[in-house]
Amino acid sequence: MSRLPIKCPSCEQHLNVSQLSCLKCDTVISGSYLLPKLMQLPQEDQDFILQFVLHSGSLKKMALQMEISYPTMRNKLDDIIEKLQPNLSKL
Amino acid sequence: MKTILFNPFKKYQENTLLGIGIPATIIGSLLAYAFYVRFDGAFDLHFATDINLWQPFIDNSVNIAIVFLALFFLAKYHNKKTRAVDILNAVLIARIPYYLVPLLNINNTISKATDQMMAIVGDTININVAAIPVSSLIIISLFALISLVALVWYIILLFNGYKIASNAKGGLTILFFCLALILAEIITKVIIVNFPY
Repeated sequence: MSRLPIKCPSCEQHLNVSQLSCLKCDTVISGSYLLPKLMQLPQEDQDFILQFVLHSGSLKKMALQMEISYPTMRNKLDDIIEKLQPNLSKL
Repeated sequence: MKTILFNPFKKYQENTLLGIGIPATIIGSLLAYAFYVRFDGAFDLHFATDINLWQPFIDNSVNIAIVFLALFFLAKYHNKKTRAVDILNAVLIARIPYYLVPLLNINNTISKATDQMMAIVGDTININVAAIPVSSLIIISLFALISLVALVWYIILLFNGYKIASNAKGGLTILFFCLALILAEIITKVIIVNFPY
């Protein structure tokens, strides 16, 4: 399955969903819907969040399994939090 | 390989790094004792004519403690989630290249070459450049080059470790990091020089 584009290739703005269709009965819904916040993240970040949930939120377990140090893992999570809440201060 | 040499903090867990850093500090101190080297400053290294076993150990302990404190406070200011163990590992691992420098003084090679040169250039009025043995010049130049490489490697490791421990980013990070290192160098120098042990 092809990857869902999240940004406009022309102007780099976030894309909206304008059409949804049912694969079974071919019903088509048109409109303008915002992508959920998590889906607006790059694929790499979405994969990280998926792994985080699958590891019950344990960065230590994730770090051990992915053979990456714990602070590297925690930094990745902090960066994603910052992307989701741009105004959130680290302090 | 690049990660192991310049940024092991990205890959290895804190226990592994601590397990390498502590023995490396002990071995580095023993090498310094064996080859008459004093680490008399966070980024300093000098050859001594006489040395006691405990001196390199205290030198390294002071250097590690002060660099750790300077970077830990800076990292905590930047990011409250910074863990002490990650900064400590950065300091312990970063010093490993520096611990290799005393090996250059096997059989007092560097000390002898320096003494030979100083005997000639020490007389600042009548310096007879031609009298400096070429071998001494080559040995001292090689030593200077290798020491410089070790120092640069030390600082690269320290910076990478600090960056991963604190998740610090941006241009100011480098500036504050450099200021912390200069402060650490001044404090360690003052302690080691003024409290003879």
